[in-house]
Formats: sequence, C-alpha cells, structure tokens
Amino acid sequence: MRDVLLIARREYLERVRSRSFLMMTLLFPLMIGLLIGGSIFASKVSSGTKNIAVGSNDAVLAHAVAAELNGEGKQATPEVVAPASDADRAALNQRVENRTLDGYLWLEQKSDGDKPEATYISRSAGDMFSLGGMGSAVDRGLERQQLARHGVPAAEIAAMPRHAEIQTMQIREGRLVPSNTLKSFFGAYAMMFLIYFTVVFYGMNVARSVVEEKTSRIFEVLLATTQPQSLMAGKLLGVGAAGLTQMAIWCLLVAGIVTATAGTMLGAEGMGAYGIHAQQLFFLLAYFLLGFFFYSAIAAGLGASVSSEHEIQQFSMVIVAPLTIGMVLITYIISNPTALPVVLLSLFPPCAPIVMFLRMSSQMPPVWQIALSMALMVLFIWGAIWVASRIYRVGILMYGKRATLPEILRWMRYS
Amino acid sequence: MPVVDLDGVSKSYSGKEAVRGLSLSIERGAIFGLLGPNGAGKTSTIRMMVGMTLPDSGTVRLFDQPFRREHLRRVGYLPEERGLYKRMKVIDQLVFLGELHGLNAKTARSRSREWCERLEIADAMEKKTQELSKGMQQKIQFIATLLHDPELIIMDEPSSGLDPVNVSLLEQILLELRNRGRTILFSTHRMDQVEKLCDAICLVDQGAAVLEGTMRAVKSRYARNRVVIEYAGDASFLTHHAITDLREFPGRAEFKLRDGVDPQALLREAAGMAQVYKFELAEPSLEEIFIRTVGGRANA
Repeated sequence: MRDVLLIARREYLERVRSRSFLMMTLLFPLMIGLLIGGSIFASKVSSGTKNIAVGSNDAVLAHAVAAELNGEGKQATPEVVAPASDADRAALNQRVENRTLDGYLWLEQKSDGDKPEATYISRSAGDMFSLGGMGSAVDRGLERQQLARHGVPAAEIAAMPRHAEIQTMQIREGRLVPSNTLKSFFGAYAMMFLIYFTVVFYGMNVARSVVEEKTSRIFEVLLATTQPQSLMAGKLLGVGAAGLTQMAIWCLLVAGIVTATAGTMLGAEGMGAYGIHAQQLFFLLAYFLLGFFFYSAIAAGLGASVSSEHEIQQFSMVIVAPLTIGMVLITYIISNPTALPVVLLSLFPPCAPIVMFLRMSSQMPPVWQIALSMALMVLFIWGAIWVASRIYRVGILMYGKRATLPEILRWMRYS
Repeated sequence: MPVVDLDGVSKSYSGKEAVRGLSLSIERGAIFGLLGPNGAGKTSTIRMMVGMTLPDSGTVRLFDQPFRREHLRRVGYLPEERGLYKRMKVIDQLVFLGELHGLNAKTARSRSREWCERLEIADAMEKKTQELSKGMQQKIQFIATLLHDPELIIMDEPSSGLDPVNVSLLEQILLELRNRGRTILFSTHRMDQVEKLCDAICLVDQGAAVLEGTMRAVKSRYARNRVVIEYAGDASFLTHHAITDLREFPGRAEFKLRDGVDPQALLREAAGMAQVYKFELAEPSLEEIFIRTVGGRANA
C-alpha cells in the first residue's frame, strides 16, 4: 500500500506541477466561456430589433398580422402598407435595397377567399430568425381576420388567450415535484459530457503515461522494486486525483462566476432546476470514479501493449466506444428509463457510468439496480486491473514489439 | 551461504528457450561476472533473479531462501537499458526511488546528496534529468541502485556510456562495496573489467552455463600456451612451425604455441639465434577463453 501511495503521489505531483495542467485548467474554462459568450452575443445580434413592414392588398389582414407580429416582440411595431398596389410593392423593394427596411411580409389575398399567399422579402437569403415566428403570426392574423369578418368585436379578439403554458410535474419518493423536461435533458446531457470528457481525457493520460515509462525504460527499475499491480493502482490513483483537482478547480470557478453574476451560490438547489440534485451529485462523483478506474485500467493495458503514443490514438476511440452508446441513445434512455434494454445497459459495466446516470436524471432506478451496477463495476475494475497488470508486466518487457491479439493472450498466460 | 542460488532454472518465450537448466551460485562478499554473447540469456537470467519473470522450471533462492518479493528491498538492480523520469528533478527522482526501496524521505535525501557529491554531480541535483548528459544520467541510475545500501547489487552492463575516468571511479566503488561485504553480480562484455574485478564468473551461451567457477579455476583449465618474447637480433625463429597467431612489434612478439609443443625447446632455439630478454609463458586472457568457448556465435 505504501508503494501505491508513493507512486500515486509522484504521478499526481508530476501532473499538477506541469505547465500543460496549468494551461488546461485556465484555458478550458476560458474556451467554454468564450463559446457561451459568443453564442449569447450571436443570438442577441440576430434577435435584435428588426424594422419590418407588412404589405397586402387586404388591409384587415395586414393590420391583423401586424398586430400579431407586434406581439412576438422581436421587432419594432411593423409598418403597415395596405391596401397596397404594385407601385407600393416596388417602393418597399427599393427601401429594403436602400437598407431603410430590414424586410417586409407581402400578403396577397386572392379574391376567392382562399388562404393568402405570403412572401417575406429581405436582403439576406436565409433570414431564419425573422421567419421563426412569422408563420404562426400569419396563421393567427388569418384567424383574427376570419373572426372579424364573422362579426366578433375587435376588443374580444384582442382579449383572446394565446400560448397555453404546460407545466410538468414528476413523482419523486411519493411526492409531486415540479420538473422541467427540457432543463432535465440538458442537465443530464451536461453531466454525461462531463463524465465522458474526463474519462476519455484522464483515461488516455494513463495510457500515455504507461507508454512514456515504457519508452524511457524506467519500468524495469520500478518492476524490480514493486509489483505491477501496485504500479498500476498508484498510477490510476495519481492521475485520477489530478483529474479531480482540475474538476474541483473548474467547479469552484463556475460557482465563483455564478456567485459574482447572479448573486446566488450554485448549490444543489440552484442546480435542481436542471434536474441535478444533491443525491445525483453524489452519484456523479461515484460513477465518475468507477468509470475513470474502469477505463483507465483498460487504457493502461493498451499503453502496455503498444509501443508509441501514435498507436494509442488509433485505439482510443475503440476503447471508449461503449460510452458513446449512452450519448447516441440519450433521448431513448431519458424517455424510457425502465425499458429492459436500458436497464440491462445500465448494469453493463462499460456503459453503466453514463446510462445509469442518465436513468437517474429521468427517474430514480431501484436501489438494488444501482447497487448491482456498482458491484459489477467494482468486479470488472478488479478484473481489468488484473488483466492489464499481466499485459503490463510482460508487455513492457517486449520493447519495440507490436502486440497482436493472440500475443496479448499469450502474455496473459505468462507469469 | 550463497546469496544467489539458481538451480536448474529454465525460461522460454514463445517456444524459444532463453535459459536452459542454468545453475549458479554466488557467495556473500563476491564480485561475480555473468558473461556471454548477445542473446545468450544473461538478461533473462537476471530478470528471474529480481522476480520480474518467474522461471518455467527450477528454483531461484536469494539470501538462502526461496525467492520472495520482500527480498527485493535488499537488492539493488541496474538494468541494461537505463530509465529515468525525464521531466523530474534529479533529487526528487532519487528520493522517490529510495522511498520505494523502503527508505524514509529524509534518509533518502541525505544519502542522495552524499552520493551525488561522491560522484561529482552535486550541481545537477536540482536539474531535470532531460537536461543532463548520458554519462550523468548513468551516474544517477548508479546512485539509485545503491541508495538503500543493498546487500546484493545486480548490474547489467554498468560501465556502458561512461568515459574511462568514470569507469575507473565505478570500479573503485564496486571494490569498496565488496570490501564492505556486499555481493555484486554484473553482466558485461568488457573482459578486462571482469579480469580486474571478478572473483568468479559464469559464461552462458544459448541459455546454458558453459563455464563456471572462480577466476583462477576457470583459467587453470586452459594450458599456458601464450608466449610473450622480447629480444634483439635475428627474428627468424618466429617462423617456427609451432607458432600460430603471431603479432610482431619492434623487439617484441606475442604468439600461441600449437598443442603438444615444448616451450623450452622453442626458447632454446630462439636463444641460439637472438638475444632473449624476456620469455613469458602466459595464461590465456579471459577474452581468449570467451572467444574460444563461444566461438563464432559471439558478436559482442
């Protein structure tokens, strides 16, 4: 145990003292911040006040649609040009070209009372944001027009309710609690990304570290001092602790930023809106550690059986493929957390860290299933460490020799 | 009581026998040379001694007991291919390796300092390994092997990469350690070093021991048939049919006598033709024994 701790301490200190750790710790949040800031800026720019007009040969329809567009709140009160002639339309075209108008909606009411032809004219070819609420505004405008034609007073039409809000509730531990499906989905997605990223990043760190020691030949000195299992366990603990340190720094940074900007600490309650509860934070940590040790043990075996970092890149995606199952099936898992295939996947150790976590964010699975998935993971980790240690011990002695699968199986038989 | 005792040890890799029924014994306080051509099985034998691999058959005993991992705390091992953490400071590296061998951090640090001063690399202690020359890295590896004051020191090619001054320093340290009762096993291709330092040797070829014993016993098995002669005058005696492998220098010649030839008869013949100042009948060098024993397979 002393050897494990000594090796873990060395691995940890080497990582946290490195320049790349410092850069990654600072640059990653900066990069994420820039991405979020950039998208907020882009959406603000695109959703900025638009100066548009509504033109039609039918004045009632034009005013009704303009009133609805006004309700969308994304543009200034639209100017109404109605009843409009072809000359008016030519003038509107000229104004769009001269940039005195962002665009105009042209409604051509046919004489037979059919649905009018609607055309939106603007300078940019794909003015997607402007089109967003325009369709429903035209629909509602038509309804207003029809109601007006059938003699419903204008005041009653204006007082008509619109946009029914649907609240969602969830039964948790026998109690009805408010939930937000969309936010739960994004919460689970963020958690899954966090697990996936850290497992992939730090797991591959372990593989790289093994290859590095293999090529520098320090291993022969270490193996004559301690057991390969101790070396590997120490390596996993050290790299894992460095990963947790980095995550803790990021969490503190996020908490600090939220405190500074929103004035509220990002505690379990604050995150609750995103379907993330204190209990889930505990499971996040538990499944992160289990997932990390599982994939790192496999990555260490991979590192021991290849001879260069380049080869690690080739195999890394194959190794983490089971994790991507959770990412691909995220909608199905969240919608059907108790379906048999989902339950089985959540018990299958390579998929468990993400699938079980996704299930939890949708509906808390029975305790026995959580316990079974954790027990199976611990068992698999022990097995993976055992197998990887065998490959480790023999693989590192096979310097410069590329391992084939039959050769790895043969190594496992060697003592 | 032997410190190392291998009895009928064999090891195969993928059907190829690396070591075949090898037996050898190293007494406490001895310097033992493990010799052999490349691929003879020296490193495979050493790796079984330090528990890195287990023998397929036969037994390994260390300190008069069947091998146990705890024995490794009493062993210092310098592998042939050196390895150090490149981005780690020398002193941190030595302390780490010392701690792995059971020392506490304080002792490991003070001993590292003493050894670095002794090997004249105290200035490098705060540097990263990757900033140092190959020779300096060799010295650090050497210190790491000896830091925990092991009873058994196993060194695979200890002098490779060192200049003559440092080879001499290394030899001096090995002799001091031997005098302090430490047992040393080293594998090398440098026969001059083996002749100078070793009390006993084992020559392995194709995984098996072909020659083993104390240096004197090994040499005594070979006839004294190498002649060194110093003379003045007529050198035509050097064309004698009994002479082979002749190397001539001004006033001096070295050659071998064919089997069964009487050296006294040759001396008489030489003395009749030239003024002989020296006629030495020398025993074969270890290098000669090595080449004669492993023949054309040796490409060391």
